[in-house]
Parts: sequence; structure tokens; C-alpha cells
Amino acid sequence: MVLEIKKACKNFGGLSAVSDVSFHIQKGEIFGLIGPNGAGKTTMFNLITSMFPLTSGDIVFNGENISGRKPYQITEKGICRTFQNIRLFPKMTALENVMVGEHCRSHSGVLKSVFRTKSQRAEEDRIRKRAGELLAFVGLGDYGDVAAENLAYGQQRRLEIARAMASSPQLLLLDEPAAGMNETETSDLFQLIKKIQKQGMTVLLIEHDMPLVMKLCDRIAVLNFGKKIAEGTPSEIQNNHDVIEAYLGREEEELHA
Amino acid sequence: MLAELINPYYLQVASFVLINIILGISVYIPLSTGQLSLASAGFMGMGAYTSALLTIHFELPIVLGIIAGTLVAGIMGVLIGIPTLRLQGVYLAIVTLGFGEVIRVLFVNWESLTKGSVGLSGIPHMGREILASLREFGFNPQSLGLQNNQFIFLTIFFLLLVITAFIIWFFRRQHSSRVGRAFAAIKLDEKAAESMGINITYYKVLAFAQGAVIAGFAGALYAHVLAYISPADFAYHRAVEILVFTVFGGSEVIWGPVFGSLFLTLMPEVLRFISEYRYMLYGLIIIIMMAVRPQGLIDVHLLELLKSKTAKRRQKYGAGNQKSM
Repeated sequence: MVLEIKKACKNFGGLSAVSDVSFHIQKGEIFGLIGPNGAGKTTMFNLITSMFPLTSGDIVFNGENISGRKPYQITEKGICRTFQNIRLFPKMTALENVMVGEHCRSHSGVLKSVFRTKSQRAEEDRIRKRAGELLAFVGLGDYGDVAAENLAYGQQRRLEIARAMASSPQLLLLDEPAAGMNETETSDLFQLIKKIQKQGMTVLLIEHDMPLVMKLCDRIAVLNFGKKIAEGTPSEIQNNHDVIEAYLGREEEELHA
Repeated sequence: MLAELINPYYLQVASFVLINIILGISVYIPLSTGQLSLASAGFMGMGAYTSALLTIHFELPIVLGIIAGTLVAGIMGVLIGIPTLRLQGVYLAIVTLGFGEVIRVLFVNWESLTKGSVGLSGIPHMGREILASLREFGFNPQSLGLQNNQFIFLTIFFLLLVITAFIIWFFRRQHSSRVGRAFAAIKLDEKAAESMGINITYYKVLAFAQGAVIAGFAGALYAHVLAYISPADFAYHRAVEILVFTVFGGSEVIWGPVFGSLFLTLMPEVLRFISEYRYMLYGLIIIIMMAVRPQGLIDVHLLELLKSKTAKRRQKYGAGNQKSM
């Protein structure tokens, strides 16, 4: 088990954004987190990465309780994320963005950096080489020198994935990676996430594109109003009465109407 | 012949240009993590007073005095940097400005130590001390065809030139490294930087403290170049002046504050009649720059443009050469 969420609760003032949510993710699987807007999916991501503190509950990663740690320590442990509203470093080049992602897997401090010691130069070469490989992996091999803000929207989404992968996470959190993508881009994304899974990374995915989620995920949890209403394989979820009523049902009715 | 060309006045102006460049860099470094600090004048004062008092009262060698002044400013930088971490933009600017005023008022009121607003005089002069120690080895400036005065100012100038060059080199190296990337990431998006595994507390305090160290160092140098300091040297006006160096020159690349300090220190000297209206002009510069070019005169694009132009010229030149061959 890579990640285990135990009775996670998060209140903002009197509002309960996430209440009593538990689920666990097996190593190597693609786990989907779905639910209507405002169901608490992104809040769940922010809790896992410690951007927000939990109100109560525990988050266990590889057998270690990681609740209450700083966000950068979570990344060091091996969890890294992308953002729903893209948050690249706009003025940096694509390559530099990915190189920043490798920060916690490198060590050179001020003095080593200024005096360019042998180990520092070797480390920089390694970071640069790996960043180039990751760019090629997500299909941006030719865009290394382009400023992130000048990339097309779909490319920015893929760059965010490369940047997150640069910290060599065991668990990759993708927050609506297909948002705003057209069909071709979405099918490229499908291939990419499958490729990431083949590399041995576990993926936790928030996504609204249901065909993509159903095709991609091994298991799915459904949130509604901050509560988990179902968990299971895509076919189980598709046939779950509560889910159809809360979420998919509405869509089906519209489709058949 | 050479001796007539070396004018102590010009050398002194050049030395102040160099000190101001170091001060400009002390604002640029915290700013490269997105922290707008106006505390440079305060840290400068701490460096200056620490070094001056130690060298006057304990007859410490100037070098040790300067090191002590730099360290005190740096420690203060860490102490101020940690509690102000949560503050952003204009709030940090106000707090750091307040800190500068506290330091100045401390210098004015702690009369038993600082002689209040009268200031400290008789601070060991860097150039004279160097000359005195060289004399002990039987050196005489006349052997170079220089008067004592010329030799003193020339020594100070070259010493400061080497120091400034080192500081620029240091921070350019730091900029293009893992540390520099972390600084830039924090400036562009703090939350995203933190999610990418960057310990933002550490790097923000590091940048703030580096700025304090540099400012304290510049202050200590200032004390031993001028041999006289008073609280007025480190007042609000100085804080704004240092800020304007960076606002005008540019805050994206280190050449921004370097150019800003150079230009704005030389201008009132060259155009004497402007000197009286200096602060009016600074106000005007801030308003115009914020409206027209908030990143300052020298930014990344301008540098790239210059680079590609010189590259083209070189190509042309190279091609011409080949033809002639």
C-alpha cells in the first residue's frame, strides 16, 4: 500500500470541505478521484501535500504518518503534484522548470554553487540531462529553451507533469490534467499516463473527463459534498446506484433526453 | 604625466559608485526571491557603526572590524528575516523601513556609545592605514611618481573594484545554479515552489540575510573610506536612494542595480545643478519607472537583445575576415 487516507476531515470555519474520507492506493495502480464540482477533490490533494493542515485524521505514506509535515518535506518523501489551474514558473524556460522540480533530489548549496566544485558540476550535468529526458518523455523535447508562458495550453499541462516527475515521486498527483484539452490531446495524455504507470509510478488522478477516467483508472473513489459515496473498479462505479444518482446519473439523463 | 591624470576627487566619486553598487546589490538579492526590503540602510548603518566602534575603541585592525560589522548585520538579517517571512510586498517594505528607522534612532539616542547625531569621527581610514603599513616595509609612493593623497585614493579605488567585481561574480554564479533556480521559483510562485520540494523558509531567510550581509559590508567599507559617519548617513533618504538604484536600473538581472547605482551616483556629480534636486528626481524616477517600465531599464530581454546583436556583429566581422583571407 502506497498511500492510506484514514478518516480525513477538513473544516474551513463552519464549512466541512472533506469529512471522514478514507481510501487507500495500491502500488502501481492508477487511482481516480471523481465527483461533482466542489466535492472536495482538490482539497483532498491539498491535504495529501500538506498545503492545508488536516482538521482530523491521518495520512500514511509507505507506512509512515506524514500528516503535519511541511509541503516540501512531502515532496522529499516522494509525493508530487500538478495544479488544476496551471502553476508553472512562467518566465523560466521549460527546461529550467523541470530542473527546479529536481531540487529536492540534489544538494549543492551556496558555496558549492559559487565555486563550482567537481560534485556540483556533475550534479548540474545530471539534473540538466534528466530534465531533457523528462521533456522528451512528455513530448516537449524540442521546447526546452522556450519560456513556459509561451507554450501552448496542452504543452503547459504536459510540462507540469514533467516538472512533477522530476522529483522522482513514487506517487504522482494529477489535478485535472485533461481540462481544456481537445480529443487528440486527451488521447495523447492517456498514452502518457499509461507510460508513467509503466515506469512504476503510482498515480492519483482527479478528472472530469469520464471516458478518460473509466479507460485509465484501475480503481475509483467518488466524493460528493466532502464525503466518499463509493469506491471500486470503473465498472462497479458505473453501475453504482448512489453514484448514478449523485453524478453520472444526471449526465446520462441529459444524454438520453 | 600619470600623476597629473590621477585626480583624488574623481577617484573618491568612483569609490562611492562602487560602494553604491554593492548597496544596490543588497536590495537586488532579497528581491530575487520576491522580498522587497528597505532595510539596507539600517544594515549598512549597523555594519558601519560596529566596525567604526571596534576599530576606534579596541584598535582592532580594519579588516577584522569590517568582518565583525558584516557579521553583526548578517545575524541581524537572520533575526529580522525569520519573523517577516509571512509578510509580502508592501507590508514587508513598511516593516523593513521601520526597522531602518529604529536603527537610526538608536544611533542618535545611544549617545554614550555613538556620540548621537554628532556622529563618529576619527575612524581609521582604509587608504591611510594601508599606506602606513606599506611605509613600514620601506615603500614610498613617490617612487611611483604619486603623491600620498593620490596613492591613498588609488588604493581604495582598486580595492573596492576588486571587492565589487568579486561580489558580482559571486552572485552571478549563485544565480545560475540550484540556489538561483530556487530563488527564481520562489519569486515567480511561492506555493508552486514549495510543492516542488523547495524549503521556502530557508531560501527566503538566506536571501534576506545575504542582502543584510552585503549591506553591512558596504556600510563597514563606507565608514573606513569616509572616516566619518553619523546617523543621518543611514536615514530614510539612504533607504530610498538604494531602492531607486534597483528600481531604475532593473531588478531582474544583477546588471540592473549595477547600472542604476553607477548612473545615479555619477549623474549628480557630472551635472552639478541637478545635485540639489536629487531627491525630487528620485521621486520622479520611481513614478515614471513604475508606470512605464516596472522591471527597470535593464531586463532579461534587453540583455538578450544586446547579446544577439554582438553575436551578429561578430559573425559579420568573422565573415569579413574570412573573405580577406
